[in-house]
Order: sequence, then C-alpha cells, then structure tokens
Amino acid sequence: MTGKNTKQKPKGTKKGGRDKKKRHGPRLPSAVRKELEHLNADPNLEQSELEKDEFGEDVYEYDEETPEEETRKNRRYDSVDNYEYELPKEFEDEDVPSEDEELDSEPSEKSDDDQENSRHPRMLEDITGLPSMAFDGQQKKQIVVTDFQGDLNGKKISIHDLLDPLQQEPGYKNLRKKLHKIETKPMTVQVPLPKEEREKLERKVAYYHTRKDMTKWEPLVKRNREAPTLHFDADVNLGFSTVGSIASEFEPRTEFEKKMALLVHDPEIVDAYNKDGVRLLELNKINIEDVKEHQHRLAKMRSLLFNHEMKSKRIKKIKSKTYHRILKKERLKAASAMEMDPEVAKENARKQEFKRAEERMTLKHKNRSKWAQRILKRGLDIQDEGTRSAITEQLHQHALLTRKMNSIEDNSDDDDNSTDDNDNDDSDELLSEKGKKNVSKLLNKAKESTLKALEDASELPKSGVFALPFMERGLKKQQDAVEEEARMALDEYDASLRQHEKGHDIKNPKSAKVSGRKVFGPLKDKLQKPHKRRNTFNDDHNSDSEGGSDTIDRADVDEEVNNPAQNANLGPASDDDSENVTHSIFKSFDDIVKEPGPKTTFEVAIFASDCWKKINGENVVDAGSTKAAAIQNSQMLMHLPEPEDMDQDSDGDSEEKMVDGFLSSSPKRDYELPSQADLIHQAFAGDDVEAEFEKYKLEHLNEECPEPEKPELIPGWGQWTDIQQKRGMPSWMINEHKNAKRKREEALKKRKDASLKNVIISENVDKKAEKLLAKTLPFPYTSEEVYEQSIRMPIGPDFNPAITAGTLNRPTVVKKPGVIIKPIQYEEVDPNDDPDQPRRIVQKPKAQPKANKDNSARGKLKKMASTKKKIKP
Amino acid sequence: MISATQQKIADELDVRARKYLRGDGANLETLRDKKLKGQLVNREKLYGQSAKAAAKAEKWLLPSDEGYLEPEGLEKTWMIKQESIVREVDISSFRKPFDMILPDLGPYKLEYTPSGRYMVMGGRKGHLAMIDMLNMNLIKEFQVRETVRDVVFLQNEQFFAVAQKKYPYIYNWRGTEIHCLKEHGAALKLQFLDKHFLLASVNKSAQLHYQDVSTGVIVANYRTGLGRTDVMQVNPYNAVIGLGHSAGKVTMWKPTSAKPLVTMLCHFGPVTDIAFHKGGHLMATTGMDHKIKLWDIRKFGLLHSYTAHAQMLDFSQKGMLALGNKSHVHIWRDSGNQDYKQYMSHEMVKGYQLAKVCFRPYEDVLGIGHSMGLSSIIVPGAGEPNFDSWVANPYETKKQRREKEVHALIDKLQPETIMLEPTKIGTLKPRRTKANPTKKEIQEEMESAIDAAKNITFKKKTKGRNKPSKRTKKKEEGVFKAKRPFLEQKTEERPFKRQKKEEVELPKALQRFSRKKAQ
Repeated sequence: MTGKNTKQKPKGTKKGGRDKKKRHGPRLPSAVRKELEHLNADPNLEQSELEKDEFGEDVYEYDEETPEEETRKNRRYDSVDNYEYELPKEFEDEDVPSEDEELDSEPSEKSDDDQENSRHPRMLEDITGLPSMAFDGQQKKQIVVTDFQGDLNGKKISIHDLLDPLQQEPGYKNLRKKLHKIETKPMTVQVPLPKEEREKLERKVAYYHTRKDMTKWEPLVKRNREAPTLHFDADVNLGFSTVGSIASEFEPRTEFEKKMALLVHDPEIVDAYNKDGVRLLELNKINIEDVKEHQHRLAKMRSLLFNHEMKSKRIKKIKSKTYHRILKKERLKAASAMEMDPEVAKENARKQEFKRAEERMTLKHKNRSKWAQRILKRGLDIQDEGTRSAITEQLHQHALLTRKMNSIEDNSDDDDNSTDDNDNDDSDELLSEKGKKNVSKLLNKAKESTLKALEDASELPKSGVFALPFMERGLKKQQDAVEEEARMALDEYDASLRQHEKGHDIKNPKSAKVSGRKVFGPLKDKLQKPHKRRNTFNDDHNSDSEGGSDTIDRADVDEEVNNPAQNANLGPASDDDSENVTHSIFKSFDDIVKEPGPKTTFEVAIFASDCWKKINGENVVDAGSTKAAAIQNSQMLMHLPEPEDMDQDSDGDSEEKMVDGFLSSSPKRDYELPSQADLIHQAFAGDDVEAEFEKYKLEHLNEECPEPEKPELIPGWGQWTDIQQKRGMPSWMINEHKNAKRKREEALKKRKDASLKNVIISENVDKKAEKLLAKTLPFPYTSEEVYEQSIRMPIGPDFNPAITAGTLNRPTVVKKPGVIIKPIQYEEVDPNDDPDQPRRIVQKPKAQPKANKDNSARGKLKKMASTKKKIKP
Repeated sequence: MISATQQKIADELDVRARKYLRGDGANLETLRDKKLKGQLVNREKLYGQSAKAAAKAEKWLLPSDEGYLEPEGLEKTWMIKQESIVREVDISSFRKPFDMILPDLGPYKLEYTPSGRYMVMGGRKGHLAMIDMLNMNLIKEFQVRETVRDVVFLQNEQFFAVAQKKYPYIYNWRGTEIHCLKEHGAALKLQFLDKHFLLASVNKSAQLHYQDVSTGVIVANYRTGLGRTDVMQVNPYNAVIGLGHSAGKVTMWKPTSAKPLVTMLCHFGPVTDIAFHKGGHLMATTGMDHKIKLWDIRKFGLLHSYTAHAQMLDFSQKGMLALGNKSHVHIWRDSGNQDYKQYMSHEMVKGYQLAKVCFRPYEDVLGIGHSMGLSSIIVPGAGEPNFDSWVANPYETKKQRREKEVHALIDKLQPETIMLEPTKIGTLKPRRTKANPTKKEIQEEMESAIDAAKNITFKKKTKGRNKPSKRTKKKEEGVFKAKRPFLEQKTEERPFKRQKKEEVELPKALQRFSRKKAQ
C-alpha cells in the first residue's frame, strides 16, 4: 500500500516515505543509519529532511489513514512516476524570476478574493460531491488569468513584456543578449531530415573520417612494403640499470610514497641512522595506548562487519517476496539519492539502459503475460478498477521503458535545471500556502530547522566507522557543503520573509501574467484536475500538519511550472540539435572541398618536383658526360685505325717470319721427307673428309629428325583389275607426305647448326638436365627475359664482397625469437627517406603515451566530477 | 665539379665493374608489376654496388700485375732466349727454370695441381714422381714398371690417377695404390673435372668413361664411335669434354648424353690436340694438316686459322697458347681481337721429343715433358699474378686443404649440371618443339609425372612429421602438384570451344525466340 503511495509523492515526501520504510525494513544500527544519511546527504534534500524530522511522526500516522482514492483503486489516469520535469538550459533564466514573483504574489491575491470565491466552490462542491479544496487550484488560476487579461489590453504578449520586469535582476543582461541574438538572427526550424537520409549522411561522414584515418596510414604501409628488409627489434633500454641509479631517480608521487619519503627523509631519523642505532630504537618506540586504541578500533570494525554480515544473512533468509520488493525499492531510492556521484549515476544509467533494452526485447509489460492476456480476453470493461489500473500501470511501465532516451548532454542539462528547480521549490513551497500567516510561520519554522540542522551537523560522530580519519575528512567536506547550502537557504528565507512583510499587492499583476497563460485551452484544465484533487485530499487530511500539504502543493506547482516549459523547450532543443548535426556535416563537406589533400602530400609534391629538377639536372650532366665520352670514343676511333694497320702489317711480317722461323728453326736433320703416298693423302685428304662429314651430318639429322616415309600403296589396293587405269596415290597421302617434308625442312632450318656447314649440334633434350630448368615462369615475373636477367648474378658470399653479400641474401623479415611483433604504430613518414634501406621497427614494451592519455583523461573526468559537485549545491 | 682524373678513375672502374656485372640488367621499364619492379631495381642497385666493390678491390688490392716481354725498336720478343731472361729476373723466379734429365724412362707426361704447387710426372716406362714445386722437394718417386700413358691429379695433391697399361690406377701421395679402375680399360688419356669430382677417361676402344671419385660410381660410359684417340681436354668453363678424332672431327661430351653435344669438323687430317681457354669461349685445335685453328665455341665458328705444325697445345691462365712440336716450343699471345701472334719460342736440345707442354698455374712458368726428362721455362705474363686463396692457394696448410676438400665435396656439382651453357641453369625450359602434343602424349607425360611423384622417397623426419598420415598427405600433395600443370592446360584450351559455340546461329525461323542481347 505504501509503496504506491510514496511513489506519487514528490521528492520531499519521498524522503519521508523512506523514513517510514526504515521502520518496516531491516533495522540497521542507528550509528550505521546515521552514517548512511550523512553519506547520502543531498544538500537539496537536507533541508526538507530536516523539516520532516519535526513532524515525522505525524506523517507516519497520516499515512496510515490514506483514503481510498489515494490507493489507486479508483484512479482514472496513469500514474506518473516522476514529477520533476527536466528543463533545458535556456529555461531557467527566463522563468525563474517570474515564477518567484508569481509565487510571491499568490497568497496575497488569494486572501483578497477569498470571500468572493467562497460561494463558487461551495456550488461546485454541491455539484460534484467533491470537497471544496479540489477546486482551489483552478480558482487560483482563473483569478490570475483575469487579472492578466486586464493588463494586456487585447495585445499579444511579447517576450519583451515578459522581460521588462526583470530589469533589476542579475541575469537580465545575459537574457537581453540572448534575446537580441535570437531576434537579429531569426532561425526557422527546419523539419528534421528523414531517418534514412540522416543515416546516410552519418555514414557518409563516418566513411569520410575512416577514409581519412586510413589514408593516414598509407605512406607508412607503403614504406614498410617497399623496404627490402624489416627488422623487428626488441626495445632494448640502454638507460641506467643499476639499483642506485634507479633509486636516485625515484620521486614520491602517491600519497603513500610521499608519506614514506617524509618519514625516510626525516632529519631526525636520518641523523639517528647516521650516528648510532640506539637512537633509532628509541624512535621506534610505540605508545602502548596507541596500540591499544588501534586494537580497539580493529575489534570494533570487526564486530561491526560481523553484525552486518549476520544481519544480511538473516535478511537473506526471509522469504517474503513483498519484503524483498520493498527492500529493493528502498535500495533503488538510496541509489537515486546517490546519483550525484558520477560513477553511480553511470552505473544506474547503464542499468536503466539494460532494462530498456530488455523491455524492448521481451515486451514484458505489453500485456503479453498470461494474466494480462486473460484479462484482455475477458474484456477490460468487466474488470474491476484495481485490475484495470494494474494493466494501465503495466502499459505505462512499458511506455516508460521503451521511450526514447535523451542524449547524454541533454540529461546533464536537465540535471542542472532540476537542481535549480529544486532551489526554486524551496521557496515555492512556502509561497504556495494559502494564508500569508502560514507563510511567515513556515518560513520561520524553516529557518529554525535549518539552524538546528547546522548545529547538528557540526557535531561529528566520534565513534564507529566515522571515527576513521578519511571518513572524518569526507564528512567534513560534506558538512561544509551542507552548511553553505543551509546558509543560502536561510538568506533566502529571510529575503522572502521580508518581501512577504512588505506587501504582496504590488507584485500581484506580474505573477498573474505568468500563470495566466495556463487558463487557455481545455486541455490544460484536464491535466491539472488530478493534481488539484489530490491537493484537496491532502488538505483534508493534513489540516493540522502543514508540512505534508506543503510538500504536495509544492509538487503541484512544480508540475505547473515544468509542464509547459518542457513542452516548449523540448521541441526546439531537439530540432536545434539535429540542425547542429546537419550543420556540422555540411561544414565537414565544405572542409573537404576546401582542402583537397593534407599538407604532407603538398610537401611531397614539392619534394617530388625538386627531385624531378634534380633528376633533370643530372640527366643534363649525364648527357654531357656521355657526349664527352662519345667524343672521346670517336677520337679513339680516329686514332685506332693506324695502329691496327700497323698491326696487320706487322702481322703479315711476323707470320712470314714465323714461318721462316719454323723453317729455319727446324733442323733439316730432324725433318724426314714424307713418302709420296703420304703427301698425296695429305693433299687430298681434305675433300674426302669434308664429304664424309657431310654424309655424317645428314645421317645425324635423319636420326634426330627422320625423313617422312614415302607413301606406298599395298599392291592390289586402289585398283579393281589390271585393266583399270592406275590412278596413282590418293591425294591426301601425297599431301600428307608433302606436309611432313615441309615440316622437316622447316625444323632443319630452325636448327642451330643449319648455317654451320661443319658443325653438328645435337638437339636432343637431356631429360636429366631438364630438372635444372624452370618449368614455368616463377610467380611475380611475367617476362622470361626479365626473369633470366634477374638470375644472372650469383648472390652467394663467394661471388660478392662482404658489404653486399649480406644485403643480397637478407630475408624480408628479420626477427629474433621471442620478440613479439606489435601492431603497427603510427609515425610520420619522412618523404626524404630512402625506400631501399632496411627498416628497423622497434617493438616498444608498452604504449606509454597512451597510458598517460588515459590517466589524463581519467583526471579530467575526476575534475569534471568535482566541478559538478561544486556546482550542484 | 668532378675533376678529369676522378672522371677517368670512375670510367676505369666502370669498365672493370662491367666484368663483374655479368651482362646488363633487363629492361625494367616494360614491367607492369610495380612491386617486382621496385624489388628488381633494388636488386640491380645492389649488384651494381657489388660489382663496383669488386672492381675497386681488383684495382687497389690485387698485389701485382702481369708483365710481358716488351721489345725495344726492332727487337722481337721471340728472339729473346731463356738465358737472357733468367739473367734479369729476381731470385725466386731465377730458380724456376730448370732441366731435369731423366733419360731412361722417358717421354714424360706432367700435370700440376690447380694451385700450381705440386707436379706429378709420369714416364712412359713407368716412372712416377710427385714434386713440390715451391721448394723443389721430391715428395714421392716410384716405379710401376708398366706403360704409363697419362697422369692427372684428383681433387688435391693427395691423390693422383695414372693411366697405365691395362687400367687407370689411383695412388695417394705416398705412392700407395688406392684403386684400380678396371671399368675404364686401357685408358689413353685422363681428365679430372674438379667441380664434379669426375674422372674422365678415353680408352683404346674409344670409350668415354666418367667415374665419380667421391662415390666411385661410373656415371657414364659412352662409345664415341670415331676411332681410337688420345686427344681429350676438358673445358674449364663448363666441364664439357672435347675429344679430337682421327677424321679431323672434334666432339664435345657431357656425362648425361650418349651422343656428342657438338661434332665439328676442324681439320682435314687427324686432330693432334685441343686446348680450351679459361674463359670458355675459345678453343684451339691442331691437326696433322699443319693448321692451328682458333674457334669460338659459343657459335662454333672459326676465328683464325694459322699454318703451323704442333703436336700439343696448352692455354695459360692469361690466355697464352703454348705449342709443342717435336723439340720446339712456341708460345703465342693474343695480340688483340683473339688474333694470336708468336710471343716466345724455346728450343730443346736436338733430339728431344716433346710429350707434354703444361703451364703452371699462378706462375710464369711452362713445364715441358719430353723424352729426356723435364724442362721448365719462364714465360713472362703467362700465369695469373694474384691467386685467390679461396680458389687455389699455393701456400695451403694441411688444415686449409682438409677444409677445402670438405667444402668441395659439399659443393660438388651433379653430372647433369654439365652443359654447354651453364648459365642456362635455372632459366625457363624452352618450349616444346612440337606445337600441339596429342592427347595420348599428354596423358603419358602426366602419368609419368605422377609416377615420379609417387616414387619419391621422403627423408626420415622427426617425431610428429614422420607419421604415416603426414607422409601420405605429402605424397598426395606431390601427385596433385605433378598433375596440376596438365589439368591447367586442359582448362586453358576450353574457352576456344565455347567461343565456337557462341557463333552458332539459329535458323531464321527460330531467331525471334532467342533472347535479345542487351544493347
């Protein structure tokens, strides 16, 4: 019963509800609870909680008596979980001040019209049977509206009208500027692009960026590909490696290290260490009390932990589902209170997202359960109110879970707004009271309570976990924040009190202006009805306890304020966003157009042109040199002929002489005159030999390339009788023979020795030697010539000097065993690099810069978190 | 600015480097593959660096340059006698020329080790001796009491082979008989292919034998079919063996081909000797027809033909050609454009019959074996002045020798690597002469390839990789690899057929039903 009830209540009461829950839930020791409260202390809530503390008991009792209407059995509308509407950023400046005014003025105006309107509610009461309080809100609004209308004189309200009264306010200047901007640059909000188109654009952008990313790598990859050898070296740190050098470079960074350093470098200890050991011992003495205290503390911690454990065990044993459900809800609430912590918030967001996803997956809450389907089958109309409400609740749950989430940025903005709203709420709640007496009373009360809270807060718990130093520090921080908040609240109270006392008449019209808008349109009325009704209920039951009604009223007002604002702001904001996105896209495209290529390529181009020039220059030089060489050559040629001639002459001489020499040198006694037969044989041997060789060659050729057989017919074939004329060979046979002959001739012509009369070169294929030849062209080669030229040079160490033998035979990848090849890392490629140089790629042990970045990022996050914390209270 | 001298030096270096570049690089501009182009350009650059470094080393680090006899005025180099040369040279060279009179067991054949340090000589009547030429120590001398036709060193001075009356034998430096190579028969001439560890011999029945001395396997045994010959010389460039025959033919052989690679008609009478230039593209032949011919064996064309009589030839390291005729020795030298002119001449004592002329490597010395013993004369500029201790070290220590032997064994070339153009190894196989092999032929080839792939025996590998499953997998892979080129051929042929199909036109009546082609 209570769970649902508390759900409807705004934040203030939620806390109260939680207090109530504490009584039902597992009973934590008061110390622990207190600590928890301190930890979760939200400055905004602090005050309300303090308020609650005063009449906590009353709320409890009141809650017991909740009417039927409140328990949802007869609810007509979907329950709304969250009354805090989150406003976009722009909203706060415009509306806050006016709100104040309105709220300031409200009570007074009511008091004026009290008597006039007393009849009307009565009438309504008679008609509807509802308590008169139910119509209060409406009345208020109506009254305000009439006032406002009078002020307008039939004109339309412009923003300037709304702004004028704010001239004295501090934020006015900013507002003006913004407004001016808006006016000078009117923006027509375009219809957001269709989804397909938007996605297409996104893809385009993504493609562009990825392409950019990829092209960045191109020169690097190219260089690595072109490098004849890649060395993957382990990163050998050649820095100092002695213990002393490492120790000397050590600098304390963390808290602990600093402390240690402080101790180590303590002059006293150092002195003692240097002088003698006794003093060290003295310094080393420990106080007995300290030790005892330490032990005590440890024991306490242990017992606390043990108790907690036992309790959690006991709780775990409890089988009641409702109990656990309640417990879970409570925990969730606690978590929501802790949302200030970015980590927790993130976790929650993740959980929420998961839930949403799950919901979308399973559609658990879309009347798909057996129970829901049965009910739907039987008809929703026949069902009792409770079931119907349960079903609507379920559907609502589904809607909530499947609703599209805002982007992260929006959320953060909204958060800010909400906090501001809360701030406003504090003042609102006071002003929404009916009577001004009540208001002043309440203000005073609040003041008192804040003061009390301040006093309370100053008393720090002196025992338990909170006695620990770091807890103490944390608490102190929190307390400081709370105190500040409280002081601010006090000031506010004072100011409002003063205003209240000064009189409300003056500000009436202004407030009317603002709230007046809501009169128009029947829809608004409908929306407001339930709240009003609730209001009346609360008032009825809480006639004596103002706190309760207070809070509810506040919620009401909140809603009123937030509803239109959100309606107004959400649309444009989202539109803006989309426009921004498109803008950025267009921008990026423009960029692409403007910058045809990265700068590096431009440089490369310059370099290339330089190079070209250089080459040209070289060519010129080369040409010159070649010319010179040619000239030289020609000169040489000019010179040469003479000696050649000389040589020839001398040759002739020498030969003759040589022959002479032979003749002269060979003594006649040695020389036996050959016989006549011999002489003849020798003289005529040549002819014979040549003819023989020709014959031999023919034989050989016939052997290698046999002559085709002459076609012959078997006797009897091709003729019937001997009378019949012989027709001779069939033509095909003759043709075949001719062809074969021609082929043979061609083959003989093609032979290497065809033109060499006295040489026979065998054309037999040596099958054994064939395995030494390549059957097909090896892969990368496409031309036989290139391949054969490429293998003409031996690459072994026997044929090459040591300087090139190594490079000629180096494998493409050189890597020592154990070296892990890391993924490629980006680096600038120097276009002047020689691509033929072997490339060394050092495998760094760890990507240090990346880690640093992470650290810095984390640091930034922390900073941001801290700033947020600072801002929020 | 580059000064003229610097320019000159650079030019000279370029000229020198060209030798080490082994030809020009391919034209890379035609390449469309940028990556390959980049790689090859890089490679070429490295080659250039390497060649330049080698040229520089050659220019600045090689200790000495060869010198020649330089005539003054009307002087002729061949008129200069040994006595006048010996008078002028330094002491170490002064000791090199000598005459060794061994009248009984003559005519002597001789052979130097590749480093020029040791000499083995074999007298016709069975006298064998090994001499350390550096300090003129007689290492071993013994008598086999048998006809000795030829002597040859094996991989180093530790072993030498001797062609004796019935068979060639292998002896070690102590004179111990290690092997008797009976398969060779009565060998007339021996040659050793040091890169391949092959001992080649041609015997009385004109059979050419190749035996691997490291494994002992007879690699090849071919009948030349051209009559008895004792003219055999190995081409140091490609290890092809040239044989000179009585009909004036010169044949070139390799161990993996039963038919001669080349048969040339060089002389009109019997060929008396062949010599190959170290560079591998020059061959000198001499025949009974009083001709000395120089051949370019890249295109098998005659370069020069000289009318002179010689019974034996030898090329020196620097390209000098020694001709031996009876008791005269002439040395010719390249006077440019491979035109050889007489450079020196030496007369033996009248009545001495020459049996062998042989230049000593890395020395300006010509060894002459004749009927009355040995002679050694100085031939300025004959030998390579700078030895490369990685190739042949005359001052080799025992350890170095051993190491080198092991290295040589590891680097031993297989007999099939002997071919006329050894630079062709690794190049693309020339396309088949037959345009379209028939289906059956393709099938047969494929089958043979598959069989070959199936019959491969794998090495025994370590634990995990020796599993039967892995082995079968590997084998399957090999078979697939062998099959693939044939299958690919098939797929390549297909598109043609398809094209033909497309051309088929429908009859006019049916054309309207055919699907219209998109415009």
